[in-house]
This record gives sequence, C-alpha cells and structure tokens, in this order.
Amino acid sequence: MRVPLAWLNLVHEKSRLVVALAGVAFAVLLVFMNLGFLGALAKSASMFYQYMDADVFLVSPQSLEISSTKAFPRDRLYQAAGIKGVQRVMPLYLGYLQWRNPQTRDSRAVFMFAFNPQDPVFSLPGLGTPATLAALDRPDTVLFDLLSRPEYGPKTIGTKTEVDRRTVTIGGQYELGGGFAADATVIGSDQNFLRLLKIPLNLVNMGLIKLEPGADAQKVAAELRQILPKDVVVRTKAEIIENDRSYWISSTSTGFIFGMGVAVSCVVGVVIVYQILYTDISDHMKQYATLKAMGYRSGYLFNVVVQEAMILSVLGYIPGFLSALGLYAFAANATNNALPIAMDLQRAVAVFILTVAMCVISALISVRKVVTAEPVELF
Amino acid sequence: MKMRTPLAWFNLTYKRQRLLTALAGVSFAVVLMFIFKGFENALYDSQVQLLKALNGDIVMVNRIKTSMFIPEKFARRRLYQAEAFKGVEAAYPLYTTTADWKNPDTKKIRPLRVLAFNLNDPVLLIPEIFAQRSALEMPRTAIIDAKSRPEIGSLTAGTITEVAKQQVRLVGTFSLGTDFTSGNGNVVMSDQNFVRYFSNLGPDDDDRNLNTVDIGLLKVSPGADVPALVQALTQQLPIDILIYSKEDFVNKELDYWKKNTNIGFIFSLLTIMGFLVGVIIVYQILYTDVSEHWAEYATLKAMGYSNFFLLKVVIQQAVLMGLLGFIPGFLISFGLYQVTADATGLLMQMTPPRAFNTLVATLIMCLISGAIAVRKVQSTDPAEVFGT
Repeated sequence: MRVPLAWLNLVHEKSRLVVALAGVAFAVLLVFMNLGFLGALAKSASMFYQYMDADVFLVSPQSLEISSTKAFPRDRLYQAAGIKGVQRVMPLYLGYLQWRNPQTRDSRAVFMFAFNPQDPVFSLPGLGTPATLAALDRPDTVLFDLLSRPEYGPKTIGTKTEVDRRTVTIGGQYELGGGFAADATVIGSDQNFLRLLKIPLNLVNMGLIKLEPGADAQKVAAELRQILPKDVVVRTKAEIIENDRSYWISSTSTGFIFGMGVAVSCVVGVVIVYQILYTDISDHMKQYATLKAMGYRSGYLFNVVVQEAMILSVLGYIPGFLSALGLYAFAANATNNALPIAMDLQRAVAVFILTVAMCVISALISVRKVVTAEPVELF
Repeated sequence: MKMRTPLAWFNLTYKRQRLLTALAGVSFAVVLMFIFKGFENALYDSQVQLLKALNGDIVMVNRIKTSMFIPEKFARRRLYQAEAFKGVEAAYPLYTTTADWKNPDTKKIRPLRVLAFNLNDPVLLIPEIFAQRSALEMPRTAIIDAKSRPEIGSLTAGTITEVAKQQVRLVGTFSLGTDFTSGNGNVVMSDQNFVRYFSNLGPDDDDRNLNTVDIGLLKVSPGADVPALVQALTQQLPIDILIYSKEDFVNKELDYWKKNTNIGFIFSLLTIMGFLVGVIIVYQILYTDVSEHWAEYATLKAMGYSNFFLLKVVIQQAVLMGLLGFIPGFLISFGLYQVTADATGLLMQMTPPRAFNTLVATLIMCLISGAIAVRKVQSTDPAEVFGT
C-alpha cells in the first residue's frame, strides 16, 4: 500500500480529527485518573513499610494491617534473633493517641510508632541525629510528622499539648505521612509508649527483623516459619506491603469503585471512536465501494479502518498521557501531597495497550459496514 | 416566527443508526457523571446512615468527640440531668465499641462495631431489632447487620461464634450498612451483654461499664423548641459535653469527612471530566450533522431565515439529544448503582434531587456543545456554498 489511505482519510477533515482526538484523549485521561487515584491510595496504604529499615516482619495472625495490629509476645523476636542471617531484631509498638490541638483545643487521633531509640527502625532523614535521639530519650516527648494534617495545630519543636491526659512536648520533626491509617503520626520511645498507652512492653505490635547483608529474606522467613510457634506470622517486606495494600483496597471498596470507573471510561472511549469511524465510513462509502469495484478486497478495506483506529489511539493517547501528567501534578498539589499520585511506566504501558484495544474494538464494530459494501448498490 | 416543521427533530431522526450512536454517547457521559457523583455521595451517605437511624432529637457527646472516630465517653449522669429539663421526654444512653468478631467459617478475626443499649429504650427504630427484643435479653446474644462485609462470615440466626474472645449466639439479622468507622459491620446487643463482654478485658483493651456513655440521645416532647432546648442544655449543663440537634450532629460528621478525606476532590474531578467527555461527544455529533446539512442550512439562510433561527434549530437538537440520552443513561446508572451496592455494601442512593442535578448538567453539557457547533452555521455564507 503506497498511498497511506487511513492517514489521508483521517486528516481529510482537520477539525473533525481534532475533536476525535480530544475524545480519545479524554477517555485515556479518565482511565489514567481512575488508575492514578487507585494507585495513590494503594501506595499510601503501604507507604510506612518503604521507610522501615527491616527485611522480615513478625505480626500476630490476628493483625489485619498496620493500624489494627494485635500484640504478640516479645519472646518471639528474641527467638528470631538466634537465627543465622538475622542481624538485628527491633520491637515496634503501635497505637492511637488523642492529640489536642493547643490552639483550638480539639482532640484528634494520632498514630504512634514507638521503639527503642537505639533501634534504627525508620530510615528517614532527620531521624538518628544526636538531637532527635536526645529528644526521644526525654520523658513525654515525641517527634511530630510534618506531613500531618493542619488540624493538629503547630508542629514546631517545643510545642506542648495534652495527649491522653498527659502533657507532651514535640521534641523533633520528620516527614512520613499517615496514609489510610491516620491523619497524623508521632514517633516516640518505647518508654513513652508505656507512659501514654499503659500497655506493657512485653507485648509487641510488630517485630522488625533486619538481615545481614547478603542474607536471603525468603530463606530466613521460611526458617522462621518453621521455628516460631503459630502465634506469629512471618512476612517478608514485599508480602506485608501486599497484605496491607489488598486489605485497604478491598475493605474500603476503592478497588471496586475505581475498577468500575476504568470500565465505564473504556466503554465511553469505544463509543467515541466508533462514532468517529462510523461517520468517516458513511462519508467515504462511495470511495470504499469504488475501491471494491476496482478489485480491492474486503481485507484491504478492513485494514484501512483498523489502521485508522490505531492511528486514532496513538494520536489520542499522547495528549491524554500528557494531560494526565498535568492532572496528576494538580491532584497531588491540591491535596497537599496527601495523595501520592504519580505516573509509572507500568501504568503508562497498560493504558496504552488498553487504548489500542479500545480503538480496535470500535473498528471491529464499525468495519462491518465497509466489508459488506456492495459496489452495485452505490452506483 | 412560528415553526411548523420540527426541523431539529427531523435532523436527528434522519439517520436512525447515527441517532442511536449519538444517544449512546450522551448516555455514557450521563453514566460517567452519575457513577462518579454516586460514589462520592455513597461514601458520604454511608458515614452518617447510623447517625440518621438513631431515634433522638438531641444528641449528647463528650466534649472532645468531634467525630465518630474519637472513642471518648461522657458521664451517664449528664443524661439524667438533661432529663430534668422541661421539654425533654426521655434520655437514652448508647454504648459503642469496636470488637473483634470471629468469622464462624474461617475462624479469622475481624473488627466490627458494637452498638448496645437498654432494650426498653427505642434507640434504633429498626423492626428486626424490636422483634428480637426478648431473645436479645438472654445472656451472650446479639443481632448482626446483614449488610456487614462478607469477611464476617455466615450470619444466620443460631450461629455461635466469638466476640471479644467470648462466646456469642446470633438471634437474627437487621439491615443497616457499613462505613469507615464501623470496620466490617455492626452488631447490636443489650447493655447488660455489653457489660458482660467489655468489662475486665486484657491490658491492651478498654474496660467498659454503663456509667460512661458514647452517645446520648434525648427525645423531646411534641412541639418543643429543639434549638432553644439545645441552647438551654448547653448553658446549664457542665462543659464536659457537647449538645447538638440531631441534624447538626449529622452535618458535623459529614463536614468531618468532607474536610478530612479527598473523597470530594477525587470524585468531583472525575465528574467534571465525565461532563467534558459529554461535551466532546455531543459536539462531535452536532458538528457532523451541521457539516452534512451545510447546503440545507445555507439554503435556509438564502431564503431569509435568520441566524437566530438556525441557532434555535441546533440548540433544540442539542437539548433533544440531552433529554433522550439522559433516559437510558439514567436507567443504566440505576442498574450500576444496584450492582455496586450489592458488591460493596455502599449506600448507593438515587434521589430525585440528585437525578435532577445530573439532568441539568446533561442539558448544560448539550447547550455548550450546541453553542460551539452552531458557530459554523452562523458563519454560513449562502453565496459561498452555492459558489462551489
């Protein structure tokens, strides 16, 4: 085929092409936004683990996700410490506190991570400096998350407020974000956890196990599963992230909601492309019939329509993709980065394939008319 | 000028198949708007459906309980004090907590919300609960929300399982629905059973008794002035509690969710995009139509019809498409709402004002498209068309 018929057909009417591409681009954009929101929620659900300096995690079998853990005996961690390849075990205590905004005097729930200040639980910048270590060692002093919502009041070092009927001082700051679990987080020492929540420290909410460099997490996890009693579950980092993610996506119905959003957007895309191809075919019915009369076979015409669909999908995808990038930035900005919405390669590729599929489906629906074109009828 | 020929209608129905595609396009834009707005509404509605179901005109909570998320309680004697006020007919304490529920099938633990009250108090006007009152008076019994998430397990009457690590027997089911704070569902029991289960628990649990109340409900006598009563109670009772009319209480909770989650942002953005997609689809259809009838429009102009007349035709066409496309879109959305409600337990409600708002949005969408598409007709120069 030396004459790029599909291309010429499309560019024949410029303004129609532009509208057509706008339609495809919007369908692409809608799919991107739905997937983006879903991805952002999934990411924020499991984000804590990304910053935890551990390879294997111990949790109670009754724990659902990080904010609703059940405690298990600290002895399990000491047992795990004896296994080859384990460098360090770190108990992590978790719980909710009522934080009073010192300005409005309203209390709100804040999620507390507590551990021995000597344990490098989080690999966050700002933690582990002598100043924060000293602050963590002081009684009734916590570090406050700068990414907490503004309703909690001032986050400056030295702020004093009431937390669960004790006076607590902000002794340092860090940036983490609360995800699904909390609107604000604090980090404190295990001793202060005991002071505030009055839960004995021999009951651990999560056990963090750091492996020696080069040790195989899968292998150590398998060994731990054999040795430890059934009152703890052993998860590698990837497994625990997957666990939390799927819990939040299913329990908040977000998976279903955005899945349906994608499905409906795709159907709309199919309708838009079908409309364009259908009008195009009706307009060029005579030409198609002529081509047929000249001896071109249905296969050739079929090819032309499918090519048109492919061109539409590729050309529509580009502005859709670009505007999705813009809207992602806008959404992240508008929500103060509470929604970590960002493009990733996997999604970009998946949506591209979806777009092509969408356009080809429309082509297959609209092509029947051309294939059955009867030259005689037209002339 | 009287228009005897319904030109817009003929233009639309001239090609049946194209009309069908056009309507499909409009319908799907309508579906998009309905779905995203529906999700947003469902997430908000679900948060307050329990509060709306509570049988009281005035609500009393702890001073720092600014949302249902905060598990703070107040002294029950505040309710007795309130009962002494003129116009207050009755005061009901409602106890709530989150408890671990053992799924009887998989033996897995899931949290759900426990609601407990004196069975003689009409706290929840749900007939199924009322019918099981005598059964619920038995020790260690409860009635469970049939709309609880499937992770809770089988919910038939007579099922024996565990709540807070203690045996419980289900006497039946009622229908309420889940929300973000309820965990996986709701279970209702008598206040006596509440004390049986939730006093003297382990070190990492909250000990409960009947002296501290989560939510207090006041029933006022017929004709009483609720806002005045709320004001009187607020002024004269100690400041460790907050008193709201029920409507304010529901709105305050809604406000909390609107401010604290990105639900509104996410779904408004998606709804707006659905709207824009609709504009493009309708524009596409009108544009093709206008281009095809280019010569006819020019003829009309040459005959002396004004631009305004042509504008009217195109706008009429747009509005007709909006109306015709809205109907299937509405019906499809209605079906999808049912599917979503069944699959997720979310409260998907299609209320007349919501349907009407979407209809208005659809018409605006069509008008915008019509206004863009009509420019081509208006610039029509008869001479130009016939010249070529």
